[in-house]
Amino acid sequence: MSDANLTVFLVDDDEDIRSSLARALAKRGFEVETYVSAEAFLEDYDGEQSGCLLLDYGMPRMNGLELQNHMIKKGFSIPIIFITGHGGVPESVQAMKAGAIDFLEKPFRQKTLIDCINGAFEKAITAQQNEKKTRELHIKFARLTEREKEIAQLMVSNSSNTTSKDIGRQLNISPRTVDHHRARILEKMNIKSVTELVDISLRANLFS
Amino acid sequence: MKLSLGAILAICLAGLQLIAVLSVVLSSYVTSERVLLDHARSLLSDLGINAIEHSKGFLKPARGTAELAKRLAENEIVASDNPEILEKLLFQNLQISPQFSGLYYGDETGSFVYVMRSKGPGPYRTKIITNSKGDRSTKFIWRNEDYSIVESRFDATDTFDPRERPWYKNALSTRNIIWTDPYIFFSSKKPGITAASPVISSNGQLDGVIGVDIEIEAISDFLSNLKIGNNGAVIILNRNGDVIAHPNPALIKIEDADGVLQFANIKEISDPIAQAAFGNFIKTDDVTIAREINSKFKHAGDTYISTLMPMAKSDLPWTIAVYVPEDDFIGGIKDNRARNIWIAFAIAIITGLLGLKLADRINKPVRDFAARAELVSKGKVSSSDDLPKTYPELEEANETLVHEIVQRKISEREYGQTFKLASRGMAEISPNTGRFIRVNSQLEDILGFTADELLGMRFSDILHPDDSDTYAFFQDAVHEDYEYNQEKRYIHKDGTTIWLRVNAILIRDEHGKPLHAVATVDDVTTQKVSEAKINGLSRDLSHFARVNMMGQMASGLAHELNQPLTAITQNADAALSTLAEQTEPNSELSEILTELDQQAHRGADIIRALRGFVRKDEGIKTVFDLTELVEQALRLVQPETTEHDITIDFKTDDIPNVIGNRIQIAQVLVNLIRNAIEAIASGETGVKQIDVIAKSNNGFVEIFVEDTGTGINPDINLFTQFETTKSDGMGLGLSFSRSIVEANGGKLWYDLEYTEKSRFCFTLVSSPKNQEALSNV
Repeated sequence: MSDANLTVFLVDDDEDIRSSLARALAKRGFEVETYVSAEAFLEDYDGEQSGCLLLDYGMPRMNGLELQNHMIKKGFSIPIIFITGHGGVPESVQAMKAGAIDFLEKPFRQKTLIDCINGAFEKAITAQQNEKKTRELHIKFARLTEREKEIAQLMVSNSSNTTSKDIGRQLNISPRTVDHHRARILEKMNIKSVTELVDISLRANLFS
Repeated sequence: MKLSLGAILAICLAGLQLIAVLSVVLSSYVTSERVLLDHARSLLSDLGINAIEHSKGFLKPARGTAELAKRLAENEIVASDNPEILEKLLFQNLQISPQFSGLYYGDETGSFVYVMRSKGPGPYRTKIITNSKGDRSTKFIWRNEDYSIVESRFDATDTFDPRERPWYKNALSTRNIIWTDPYIFFSSKKPGITAASPVISSNGQLDGVIGVDIEIEAISDFLSNLKIGNNGAVIILNRNGDVIAHPNPALIKIEDADGVLQFANIKEISDPIAQAAFGNFIKTDDVTIAREINSKFKHAGDTYISTLMPMAKSDLPWTIAVYVPEDDFIGGIKDNRARNIWIAFAIAIITGLLGLKLADRINKPVRDFAARAELVSKGKVSSSDDLPKTYPELEEANETLVHEIVQRKISEREYGQTFKLASRGMAEISPNTGRFIRVNSQLEDILGFTADELLGMRFSDILHPDDSDTYAFFQDAVHEDYEYNQEKRYIHKDGTTIWLRVNAILIRDEHGKPLHAVATVDDVTTQKVSEAKINGLSRDLSHFARVNMMGQMASGLAHELNQPLTAITQNADAALSTLAEQTEPNSELSEILTELDQQAHRGADIIRALRGFVRKDEGIKTVFDLTELVEQALRLVQPETTEHDITIDFKTDDIPNVIGNRIQIAQVLVNLIRNAIEAIASGETGVKQIDVIAKSNNGFVEIFVEDTGTGINPDINLFTQFETTKSDGMGLGLSFSRSIVEANGGKLWYDLEYTEKSRFCFTLVSSPKNQEALSNV
C-alpha cells in the first residue's frame, strides 16, 4: 500500500531506535528517512514532501511538541505520530490538541504503528488532493478581473443580502452590470451557484 | 524604742541640770552635817573638859588641908591645949577659901574644933568640944568677919564624937588625905564633900584628923552658867550614879522616907532628858567609865548627842556627862538646807523649763524639716521648694536626698513610660498569686482583654489547657530567680490560640524581698504559623523526595529500558518481515521471533505498570506565590549556608503567581540551591555568593540560580541520569529536576553562554490574573 510519493520521516535522538525502526519499516515497504534531532529535520524538510512524521517526544533542546508547534506555525500539514519513552497524559493531550495523529508509548505493537502510519498517509493523500483542488480554484480565481473579485467578495461576505441592487449601490454601478459580472464569475470559476462560491471560497481561503 | 531628737534634747538638758543641782545639794547636805556634828562633838568634849577642870580647880583648895595638917603638926598647935589658936587658924583658912563651908579638927581624945559659915547671928560659928578626962564640954561661938564674938553659948546636949565619924576613921586608916562621897550637909542642907587628912607628929604619932567641908553646889551653879546650845546641859555623876552637880541644883536633892536629904540618882532624877542620855550606861551601880564615850539618843522626837568622860587625873570617881539636842547645832543648817533644797528645786524647775525651751528651740528646725519631709512624701510640697531655715548638715542631707528623689522620680517616670510605650506587651505579675498587677496597652492588644479585665485575672487564666504546666514552670523560674523565657500557647479573649514568647524576671526590693515579676510578651503566632508552614513544607519535601525518587527512578528506568525494548521489537519485526520474504517458510523461527516481540512487550508492560503505580503520587497543580516559596526554600537551606559561610541573595521584580505543583517546584529549587552550595563548598572560591533571580518573561517566570562555585565539567551530560560531577551523588538530581519542571510545563537548562558564574535556569508557567487554582491541565 505504499505510495512512491509518501515518506516516513523518523526523528529520534536514540541511534538504536532510528536504525531498528527504520529497518523494520523499510522491510514492510515504507520509504523511511531518519533524523537525529528536530533541528536536523527542519533543516532538511521544505514542506513539499508528503507522508508522515514519526517524532520522539523527549529530546534535548527542541522536543517533539516544540517541533510540532514549529511545523504548525510554518504551515506544514504533514501528519505527526508521537512516540515516547515516558509519555505522560498531559503531554499526550497537548500533542493531540495540536493535531497529532496519535501518541504512542515505546515499545508499541507493530500493528498499531502501521495502522497509525497508514491513517496518516490517508490523511496526507486527502490533504494533497485538497491542496490540488484549492490550487486549481486559486488559479481560476486569479483569472477574474479586479471588479469581478470585488463583487465575488461582497457576495461571499454577506450572502443573505447580496442582491444585484445592493451590490450595485455599494459599488455605484447599475444592477444590470452586477448581473453581468455575476454570470462571468460563475462561468470562470466553473460553478453553478453563489452557495457553491461561498463554500469553495471558505475551503480554499480565497479572500485571506 | 527610738526617741525623737526633741525628747533626747529635753531629757538631756533638763535631766542633766537636775542631776547637777541635786548632786551639789546632796553633797553639801551630807558633808555640812557631818562637819557640824564633828564640831558639836568637839564642843561637847571641850565642855566636859571645862567642867572637869573647873571642878578640879574648885576642889583644889581642899588639898590645902594636907598642908594645913602638916603645919598644925609642926607648930604643935594641936598638941597644945589651946583651942583658941586652932580656932583662929581654921577661921583664917575658912575666910580665904570661899568654897569651904567649914574646917575642923578632931583628935584622939575626942576633942573637936569646928569653924563654919553661919547664917546668924554672926557670919561664922565655931563649935568647940573639949574632952579631957571624961570632962566634956561643947561650946558654940558666933563671930564677925573681924573675929569679934557676936554670941557664944554652951550646949550640954551635944554628943558628937569626931572619932566615930567616917572621915576620921578613913583618914586614920589610910594615913593619907581622903575624899568622902558627896553628901548633903546636915547643917546647911547643901551638897558637899569632905576632904580629911591625918595630922602626924614628927615622931610619927597620929595626933588627929583635920577635915574640910566643901559645898559643891557652886559646881552646879557653874554648870548652870555654862551655855551649851540652847538646851544642852552638863551634869556630874558620882560613881554610884548619884547626880552631884546639875544646872538645876534643886533637882539633885531628894528627901528619903526618914526625911533625910539625899542625892537624886540618875535613874530617878526628875530630868527625863538626863535619864534618857545616860540610861543606857547605867547597868550596874557603878557608872564609872574608863574613857570618853560619844553617843546619840532620841528623846521626845528630838535627837541628842552626848559625851561621857571620866574625871581624868583626879582622885574623884566622877563622870562628867554632856548632852545637847542636835538641832541646837545643826538646826540652823538644817533649816538652811531645807531652804536650799527648795531653792534647788525651784532652780531645777526653772532651768528644766528653760532646758525644755532650749531643746524645743534647738529641735524646731529639725521638726520643721521632718514636717516638710512628710509633706514632700505625700506629694503636697515639691522637693525642690525652699527649705525652712535649718542646719547646714540638714541642708546638705536634704540636697542629697532631693537629688536622689529627683533621680528616682525620673527613673520611675522612665520606667512608667517604657512600660507604657514599649513595643511589646509588658506586665507586672505577683510572684505568689500570679495576678496581673500592671499591664500596658500592647498586652491588651495581644490578649484582647482590657486592662481592667486583666487586672482581675491571673497569669494561669490565659494559659492554653495543653500547656497548663507552663504556670508551674513560670512559678519555679520566678522563685528560683532565673529568667523565664518560653514560647507557649495562650488563649486570646476571642478563644483563639495564640503563641506568646514570655520573658519574665523577678524584681526584688533593697532587702531582697520579692516585689513582682516583670514579664515582656511578644506575639509570635505569625512566626509560629510560618515556622509550621516551613516545617510542613520540609516534611512534605522529604516525603516527596522519597516518593519522587522512586517515581523518578522508575520513570528514568522506564525510559532507558523502553528504548532498547523498542529496538528489540523493531528488530524482531524486521526479522519476521525478512523471514516472510524467504521462499521456504520457517515456522519455528517465525514463532521464536514472535515470542521475542511478545516478551519485549511484556517487559514494557511491567515497566509501565510500575510507573503507573508511582504516578499516582504526582501532586495537583495550583497557583501559588513563587516569591514566598523561594523565601521558604532559602530558610530550609539556611543551616548549610551558615555552615559554609555562604551569602544568598534573592532578587525579584513584581512577578505574577505561577502554576504548578508547589512541592515539586520547591524540590527543584532546593535541589538547585543545594547543588550551588555544594559547588561552592567543594571548591576554593574566594567569593561565596549565591544569587536566586526571578523574572517575568512572556507568559513564563524564569528563575536563575547562580553560584560562584567551581563550574561544570563540559564533558558531563548534566541531565543524563546516573551521570554526576559529585563524588557521592547518583546523578539523578538534575535529571529529576528537569523531569519535574517539564511535567509542570516549564524547562530546565544550564546556561553555557553565561560564563561569569554557573547558572542554572528553569521556567514556570505564569498564572493569568484572578485565577486562583487549577486542577489537572
